[in-house]
Amino acid sequence: MSIALKADNISKYFYTPEKFKVLSEVSFEVQKGEFVSVIGKSGSGKSTMLYILSTMDTDYTGNLMLNGQQVTGSPVNKLAAFRNEHLGFVFQFHYLLPDFTCLQNVMIPALRLKKRSPAEIEHNAYEKLKTLGLEDQALKTASRISGGQQQRVAIARALINEPAIIMGDEPTGNLDSRNTAVVFDIFKQLAAEHNKTIITVTHDNDFAAKSDRIIEMKDGVIISHDRKPHEL
Amino acid sequence: MKTGINTRIAYTYMVSKVKSTLVAALGVTFGIGMFIFMNSLITGTNDYSEKTMLSATPHIRLYNDNKISTNDMLNRYAGNKTINLISNPQLVPQDNRIINPDAVAAQLNKRKEVIALSKQVTANIIYSKGNVQENGTIFGVNIEEQDKMFDITSNMIAGKTKSIADNPNNIIIGIGLSQKLNLKMGDYVRITTSTGLTKTLQVSGIFKTTIKNVDETKTYVSLPVVQQLLQKDRAYITDIYVNVKNYNQATEIGNSMAHQTGYTSESWQQSNEQSLAGKKIRDIIANSVIFTILLVAGFGIYNILNMVIYEKIKEIAILKATGFQGNDVVSIFIQQALLIGLIGSVMGLIVGWLISYLLSKLYLGIGNVTYLPMTFLVKHYIQGAVFGILTSFFAGYIPARKASKVDPVSIIRG
Repeated sequence: MSIALKADNISKYFYTPEKFKVLSEVSFEVQKGEFVSVIGKSGSGKSTMLYILSTMDTDYTGNLMLNGQQVTGSPVNKLAAFRNEHLGFVFQFHYLLPDFTCLQNVMIPALRLKKRSPAEIEHNAYEKLKTLGLEDQALKTASRISGGQQQRVAIARALINEPAIIMGDEPTGNLDSRNTAVVFDIFKQLAAEHNKTIITVTHDNDFAAKSDRIIEMKDGVIISHDRKPHEL
Repeated sequence: MKTGINTRIAYTYMVSKVKSTLVAALGVTFGIGMFIFMNSLITGTNDYSEKTMLSATPHIRLYNDNKISTNDMLNRYAGNKTINLISNPQLVPQDNRIINPDAVAAQLNKRKEVIALSKQVTANIIYSKGNVQENGTIFGVNIEEQDKMFDITSNMIAGKTKSIADNPNNIIIGIGLSQKLNLKMGDYVRITTSTGLTKTLQVSGIFKTTIKNVDETKTYVSLPVVQQLLQKDRAYITDIYVNVKNYNQATEIGNSMAHQTGYTSESWQQSNEQSLAGKKIRDIIANSVIFTILLVAGFGIYNILNMVIYEKIKEIAILKATGFQGNDVVSIFIQQALLIGLIGSVMGLIVGWLISYLLSKLYLGIGNVTYLPMTFLVKHYIQGAVFGILTSFFAGYIPARKASKVDPVSIIRG
């Protein structure tokens, strides 16, 4: 198995209200096709770390490699292009564009990438929605479907460019247990069948327990790289 | 789907806010409409006043001015060995004639830019009929030359211009003088010069220029009549009037003619400086009004975009998270601004034309201005559209840049 993500001595400070080391020398690796959950209490730095891993936050020290590429030190526009092509995001809130249809929402990142023709993109987007059981909602405006459906559309959007790594920030934080199970199954399937690497930050211990590996954080350091589910 | 994703997002954002979009576009519409109307009116007014000026003034007037005494003669006489000074130099009174006018005219006619040329003798005189007297200026002209220059024929309300060339006792007078002295076609009018010489002439034509001052004082006779009145010879010419192809360059051409012939030149701009000052002031007023309106329109666009960006800040963040770069975000909002500007400009062109058209039917009837003078120049409409779109661009650029700097992490983490 090859390495999808390699974090090396990552540290970060918050400067407001006062200087505070939120991450100190965090190092870990994630294999390709692995489904990793990051857990920890509020303020443990897990979300902060995720946003550094997502390449959106560039204000840190240390070194980060994603998908075999060095991302630390790349210019902002190059990082945006990298995210577009190699990373998919699912957040606690769906952040769909409410003025667009579900299908268009899914298509937007691919239209930005411009690797395929709009007709192909539309076909792929429709296929993605279909695998997530949303084919009937495709032409509805994103603001007119239920929360669980919105989150699944957001997952479809994260998948449209066939990214190697999918990152989730409390992807089920806003969902009921039934929808949580649906989202978990989708992630599990993506990791197992499509060899996608999945890293999610979660508060939900049941969710974490079922993933391949659990990383536990506390006060800005990783206290366990492979916490056993039964210990939770 | 041919358009890029940025354009589609811009378009969707715009359509989702139809009302505010329309309000912002209306700002541009009024700006451009006003721009076009103001420019059409100002150009119309300027054209009109220029036309009025040029109907009474030649593009260039060449004459022999009295010269101030200089050292030249003294230097020639006393040589350079001494320093020659004239204390209290005086104007040297001269016979104001142009020497050998035919040669001068021939010389000027060789210049390519000259389109009409007319030699004249003028005299200040008193017209009288019975016991009633009026002051005025009599112009001794070659009527064919003069007609070519001022198109007197089209102003004639009675008689023919050619009549004064046919008979040296004929005179063409203005409508104002004809009313003041109750002169009709065929009536006789007595002319008295400042030296007391008199002559009686028969009215053979009446013109109406609509310029009151000209209609009441100006009369035309053939050249020899005035030469006789002034007791001068047949070669006595005081002024040469010249019209040139491009009358905006009259001053420069006049200066070069003055240099060539040694006489003094006066262009129509120089003799109508106060009118040209009026034109400048009108331009400044119009431009400041237009600038203000466009500025307000710009603020309208700026406001709506700021509002949209504030509302869509989460969407901007997610777009950036999924790989949209700063430039893409700028492009989305600039395009939205340009779309608003484009809609506003198109409506502005129509509104501008409509206002101009309606007001060009406004009857004034003061002096010789019948309707509000208005021009319809394609140039103004193109300029209007360009200004509208430029305003939108700059008004959109500032909020767009702000949007492009949105930090997705801080928005998404909340």
